[in-house]
Amino acid sequence: MTETPPPSESRERTATGDEQPDAKLRASDLELRYDSVGEPIVDCETLVVPAGEVTALVGPNGSGKSTLLRGLARHLSPAAGEIVLDGRDVASLGDKEFARELGLLSQEHDAPGGITVEDLVHHGRYPHRGFLEGRTEADALAVEDALEMTGVSHLRDEDLGDLSGGQKQLVWIAMTLAQQTETVLLDEPTTYLDLHHQLRVMDVIHELNEERGVTVCVVLHDLQQAARFADYLVALRDGDVYDWGPPEDVVTEELLADVFGVDASVSFENGDPRILPRRAVDR
Amino acid sequence: MRSETTAAKTVDGGWVAPRDRRLLSLILASVAAVVAAGFVQVWFGSYEMTFSQTYRVLTNPDIVFNARLWGAFLFGGDLPDWLSTEAVIVWNLRLPRVVVGILVGVNLAVSGAVFQAVTRNELASPYILGVSGGAGLAVLLAIAFAASASVVLPFAAAAGGALAFVLVYVIAWKGGTSPVRLVLAGVIVATVFQSLQTGLFYFLDSTAAVKTAVQWTSGSLLGVDWAQVRLAVLPTLVVTPLIVLASRHLNVLLLGEQTARALGMSVERMRFGLSALAILAASTAVAVAGLVGFVGLIVPHAVRTVVGSDYKRLVLGSMFVGPALVVVADAVARLALPVQLPVGIVTGVLGGPYFLYLMRRTGDISEF
Repeated sequence: MTETPPPSESRERTATGDEQPDAKLRASDLELRYDSVGEPIVDCETLVVPAGEVTALVGPNGSGKSTLLRGLARHLSPAAGEIVLDGRDVASLGDKEFARELGLLSQEHDAPGGITVEDLVHHGRYPHRGFLEGRTEADALAVEDALEMTGVSHLRDEDLGDLSGGQKQLVWIAMTLAQQTETVLLDEPTTYLDLHHQLRVMDVIHELNEERGVTVCVVLHDLQQAARFADYLVALRDGDVYDWGPPEDVVTEELLADVFGVDASVSFENGDPRILPRRAVDR
Repeated sequence: MRSETTAAKTVDGGWVAPRDRRLLSLILASVAAVVAAGFVQVWFGSYEMTFSQTYRVLTNPDIVFNARLWGAFLFGGDLPDWLSTEAVIVWNLRLPRVVVGILVGVNLAVSGAVFQAVTRNELASPYILGVSGGAGLAVLLAIAFAASASVVLPFAAAAGGALAFVLVYVIAWKGGTSPVRLVLAGVIVATVFQSLQTGLFYFLDSTAAVKTAVQWTSGSLLGVDWAQVRLAVLPTLVVTPLIVLASRHLNVLLLGEQTARALGMSVERMRFGLSALAILAASTAVAVAGLVGFVGLIVPHAVRTVVGSDYKRLVLGSMFVGPALVVVADAVARLALPVQLPVGIVTGVLGGPYFLYLMRRTGDISEF
């Protein structure tokens, strides 16, 4: 990341951290809405996804996490504000160009019947191929690498429909990895998975970030999981950023009460969060 | 596409995937069906010939390798005098019907396959999306008011089909389209256009025109000759290869709009472009054969159950199974009963039970 980081204007409320990380992705004065009338789903002043880190978006149901992620991935064009990726306004990028820079794994995906794991992962190469171009050596390598990294190489010839939910999720992640983007956004990649596969998914994310230096932004439902795996947390409330920073600073009893409506005790042991919810409170 | 196959071969050491083997058998069986039914079609008729007579005429090297004759067939012109009566009957009267059947089958099947991917609905077809209705109405208008204007028919059909589809798109559009909205809008437009077609019958003043129109709306290959082949062959040769080449994009569309977009596809633009190709294909078929039902629906469906949902295989398979269905159905329509029926009636009669069978087998229609 050779680009000079865009000047940081307002970082209100994010009163944490003395170092200011480079922003891979920055949204300012972002307003996202599905209907042109009524309140916007997301209305956030500043959101920074730091380069080379894992950032987790957390918040209660309806806080706009997924919508924000969709906005960042250009699936939803903002009603106002701008999103800057690597110093460039994302609106100025072509569809395929953008997909070579940023990959998104949606929460729900439709799999057609009768497709093999390898063929599905090959679709991740779509943005790298011309309209009529065939598969190249680079495509094969990227697919191989993605299969390897997610640990699903042995399933390559299996029919996607025959896999378990957890295996399927790993395959979808492999497809997103085959895109070979510098930034990866994932929408609740661990929801509905058993514990084993949840941990495998988080391991893949960790490895992707640690060894490849990929910037990751992930929506997580489980606050404890988010606090354990992410370098930065962004807590959302009612479509706006409530707090931002390293997990130790963000995950507090006050946050749980204010944002999640939960009376809980929070403690950190060697960086591992321990959240003990006691009861629901009105926030 | 070719490079993909070779890449797969080198990696796997010449091993052929079971789905490719099944595709190959499907193609071979379809070719056999077309050849057999085609031969029956040129063999039987009111002018009686023996099997060996027919065979000799069909394989006569003086005809098969005669460039001038093929020029007359494909570009129009007079036939030479030295042709025997049998040769004229086989080559100029009966064979074109088989060729048109093949072209109609290719176009309808491929068009249906594309529409099923674009709308991500396996029950979609040129019919359901109103394209056939629009093309049909335009052709009927041409028959009713421009009399014997066979030259304008394909253009009228294409224009009508495109108009109908644009209408469907406009109705379905709400900051983007969705498969379900497209199908619903298609049903609306198709219903309206079908009513208009029926209404148009009352404006036809001669019985002959009514008969043409009826024949036409039920989809018939009666009386087609090389002129219809000439009309249909060019669009077919342009559109079909393009659709085969676009199979990878169709596959990505099948992953759903969100995923397709995340992979960098300009979804709406792609959907529109592919639909345009499918409209052209459907209109080509409608222009020469009228409204032959069910082919665009059941062929891709049946092929999918054999080769899976990969569009490269699906489109290739449909390109062969479509003609097999239409040519066999036309042989039945023409020869099985004392009267000649429009081929569309036979495909319709076959199509209903096929869906009944599917419903019974899968148990849940929403699993389509």
